[in-house]
Amino acid sequence: MSHDTEGAARNDRQRAKDRIITPVKRPLTVAGWLSVLAGALWPIQAAAIAWAVSEWVDGASAVQVALTAASVFLACALLRALLEHRSGALLFAAANATIRRERAHLIDREARTRTSAGSAQIAALLVQKLPLMQPWITRYHVAMMRVSTLPFLYLLLAFSQSWAVGVTLLVAGPLIPVFMALVGMAAEEASKKQMQDIASMNDMVMDRLSAMLDIRLLGATDRAAQDFATRADSLRARTMEVLKVAFLSSTVLELFAALGVAMVAVFVGFTLLGEIGFGAWGDGLTLGEGLFLLLIAPEFFQPLRDLSAAWHDRAAGYAVVADLDALDAAERVAMLGQAAPSEPLSGPLALCTEGAVVALSGKDVRIPDFTLSEGQSLALVGPSGVGKSTALAAIAGLAPLRAGTILVNGQPLTEETADAWRAGLSVVPQKPHFADETLAEWLDPKAIGTDPSAALAMAGASDIVRRLPEGLHSRLGETGGGVSGGEARRLLLARALLSGASLLLADEPTADLDEATADTIITALLAFRAAGGTLLIATHDPRLIAAMDTHVEVMA
Amino acid sequence: MRHILQIAKLLVQADRRAMGRGALLSIAVLLMGVSLLGLSGWFITATGLAGLAGIGIAFDVFRPSAGVRFLALGRAAARYGERLLTHDATLRALAAFRVDLLRSYARSDARALANLRSEGALTRIIADVDALDGVILRLVLPIVAALVTHILVFGVLSWLVGWSVALIILGLYLVAGGAILLRLGHATVAPSRRLEEVEQRLRRGAIDMIRDRDALILSASLPRKEAGLHRLDQEARAKAADLDRAERGAGFWMSLLVAAAAMAAFLAGAVLLDQGSIDAASAVIGLFVALALAEALLQLRRGVSDLGRVQSAAERLAPQLQSVRPPAGGQTSDVASCQTLGTGPLLSIHHPNLRADFHAGEAVALSGPSGVGKTMLLMEIAGLQPGTSVKVHGRPPVAYAEDSLRAMVSMLPQRCALVAGTVRDNLSLSGSFSDAELWQALDQVALAEDLRQRDGLDTTLGEGGAGLSGGQSKRLAIARNILIKSDILLLDEPTEGLDAATAEAVLHGVRAAVPEALIIAVMHSGAQHPVFTRRVGLSR
Repeated sequence: MSHDTEGAARNDRQRAKDRIITPVKRPLTVAGWLSVLAGALWPIQAAAIAWAVSEWVDGASAVQVALTAASVFLACALLRALLEHRSGALLFAAANATIRRERAHLIDREARTRTSAGSAQIAALLVQKLPLMQPWITRYHVAMMRVSTLPFLYLLLAFSQSWAVGVTLLVAGPLIPVFMALVGMAAEEASKKQMQDIASMNDMVMDRLSAMLDIRLLGATDRAAQDFATRADSLRARTMEVLKVAFLSSTVLELFAALGVAMVAVFVGFTLLGEIGFGAWGDGLTLGEGLFLLLIAPEFFQPLRDLSAAWHDRAAGYAVVADLDALDAAERVAMLGQAAPSEPLSGPLALCTEGAVVALSGKDVRIPDFTLSEGQSLALVGPSGVGKSTALAAIAGLAPLRAGTILVNGQPLTEETADAWRAGLSVVPQKPHFADETLAEWLDPKAIGTDPSAALAMAGASDIVRRLPEGLHSRLGETGGGVSGGEARRLLLARALLSGASLLLADEPTADLDEATADTIITALLAFRAAGGTLLIATHDPRLIAAMDTHVEVMA
Repeated sequence: MRHILQIAKLLVQADRRAMGRGALLSIAVLLMGVSLLGLSGWFITATGLAGLAGIGIAFDVFRPSAGVRFLALGRAAARYGERLLTHDATLRALAAFRVDLLRSYARSDARALANLRSEGALTRIIADVDALDGVILRLVLPIVAALVTHILVFGVLSWLVGWSVALIILGLYLVAGGAILLRLGHATVAPSRRLEEVEQRLRRGAIDMIRDRDALILSASLPRKEAGLHRLDQEARAKAADLDRAERGAGFWMSLLVAAAAMAAFLAGAVLLDQGSIDAASAVIGLFVALALAEALLQLRRGVSDLGRVQSAAERLAPQLQSVRPPAGGQTSDVASCQTLGTGPLLSIHHPNLRADFHAGEAVALSGPSGVGKTMLLMEIAGLQPGTSVKVHGRPPVAYAEDSLRAMVSMLPQRCALVAGTVRDNLSLSGSFSDAELWQALDQVALAEDLRQRDGLDTTLGEGGAGLSGGQSKRLAIARNILIKSDILLLDEPTEGLDAATAEAVLHGVRAAVPEALIIAVMHSGAQHPVFTRRVGLSR
């Protein structure tokens, strides 16, 4: 790895910390100290037991001594449990507030200013990935605080009893930062690899499932299943190669912990037998001191093991922050206004463009100058891809201008006028999106409550609704299942007509339609105009162009 | 619970031996951990006693100290082996599980198969599969290992120390520990199930909001939609808080339980010591064992608190995987499925608006206004849509066994889908062919030239065939269909999205590729093309 990328990675980590950890630094620190305090109670519990056993050997009543030790032990245990419980509550609250904040931010931003990121990608970040920060916030920081305090306390206690045990732990000690780095990297690698592999196995399932209709129709079910099994197996083999190494390094940490305990046990045992004469202060170890050392030895290593377990939580958290940062940096298309309900703009309907240029990433679209007054119809014409749809979007206040003005009812289209302007217009897009709602709700998004039958009849869509099993109460689902492309277009038109708008913007309303359906659409549009409506249509269909009063050309 | 068990059974069956070995090693790890602490405690106390009694020389130090070292090394090794084996077994199980899932979904009817294209349905399935991935590693193996370990420890402790100590440990951990876990499961099922539901709605809502952005702005309902998503998040947060409270509560009681079990074992040891039935060294064993056994219990917490999510996923997927019912396609070979042909014309249609027989070698253009049911008619011929208006060789398509029907009828759906992989992978879905045959098919759909400029048959495509244009994807899909050389070739709008010259080449190429076959093509425009020998219309 070059120096630069390393520096960049460190920078990213710092940014991630600033964004996520810094705002909750205080509760995290408090929770960390509570947890450290809980850990510091263990030596008292260990001492109680050690004391009791050494009293036994001295011939005291075993039960009485044990009762005294047990009450100390249990009191400490209760205190420990309470401290951990409280610490956990603080940590959860911190993580919860962080997730809520980031989620709210995304919800309020992603529709208003659109990026090129897919909606599914943003939804995955919002729903699945943001909660992945929780283990990072709740575990890593506390584990780090414990690791930088508790082992030193235990080391001090070990040295106070026996320098040899202290040295044993100390030898394992300096190795631990080394192993932590090693294990940390390997664990990070392993968890990343595992996440990736499960993700790519899932991608493969998604890919095959979405092609399942084709696969079935080709009679390829068995072949596809077999092929999937083969790929999944080679994926497994590769994953295991990585895991073999990754697990090995975390095993080394466990091994050191276990060996540390074993060495302490053996050393203490031999000392108590008198076979080892060094390593203790004064005249050797007592049984109580020996048991105490045995009981605190595993706890010396525990914070290290916790930290290595929390290591990949941090990596997962950083990955989420990287996604958030990337989305922050993405280029955005803003809208005009607040999209809030508003009274329609006053004055007679008039639309006039003057040198308007739409600012879209990488490409400027010039809207030709034209004037459209109430009751007129106008076609914006030009080959596909020239920017007709973009022009319509800008006129509806869905994309900002870079230069020039759009005058609506005599006033410039701005943040202030956009909501009122939109209140009087309606748009027929090319492709529908059916959310999870009934057709009736979809047709009437403003919930005005008008009976849709007239609009449906005008758009030639009555028979579509009749054919649907539950009529207006059918839920079409996101792909518009059960409705063909031409039917969807007629429903979109009905929706626009139902809104009661006096200006209708339509984007290629007859593209890709058979002649009969296209005729229905043109008839409906002309009926709208005959009833006093105003029409602005982007199209390259000659029949539709001919049906409009005038047309202007959009130039590249 | 029944559904979780079904799924668990399915996962374990993927590789029983590997699962079994993994379980054995999980038990070994727990047992060695318990033995290490128990033996060390005994060893230190015993040496202390021997030292005080001045019989240090006579004390056999080597076997126990060797035991301590062996257990320390053995536990680390067993842990390593356990991790490798259980992960390997789990990965095998996950792969097998996904294959079963693919097969089970393949048996659905046309509507259900088309629904699989929707983002919502797919993410739902994947979220469920993910939830079930943890069943083995977080539930089955830890529960089995904990139970077996506790029972073995009970036996050994009864023998070494006394049944009272052994019973106290077993009883407390099994009964009180079980109660804590049951209570945790009970308290988390509802919120974790609800959390999952709310998150799915949040995901769906976010997708709707972003895709529907323009319409929402135009209808001035974006603020309302945003407020709705905020409310969903609030509910999600509330449920997450419920879950956290339950989990932390269980953690609190468990750490008290461990302390109580350790102290109860300690006191029971003291009683036995006072009775003179054991020495001090044996009396401390119970305490150490109880402390070490906590590991078996604590690792169950996470799996249990996920139970609600796992359960609702299992409820959805288990029936799917179980469905042996032959759907519209008639996958299984029951009495009605025939391997042999019936008698009658190759294809006869008795639709309310269309009655006709069709024969091999014909090329039929089928047209009609949108929504009249052209696609449904093709799906019925392909056996994916139940109905009574179609007979192939005198029998309804669904009456044939899946394999024989697929050899007779192949179909290009209107919105065709490719899979990630190479061009060769996509074409190989139709069977095994030589490169020459593949190139010939690509030539016939006028795609060979485009691909030669890239990596030929090894050109890689992304998910859903990303990397090819809409028209190229369509032609590749047509190539897959002509490779099959079925008796009946159904094409739903084969030239949509193709420019006139390419459409011309494709229609000729298809006819040339399968000269003997009956071709039925739904055409919006271009029905007048000379390649068609017959034109039929479907009217309202």
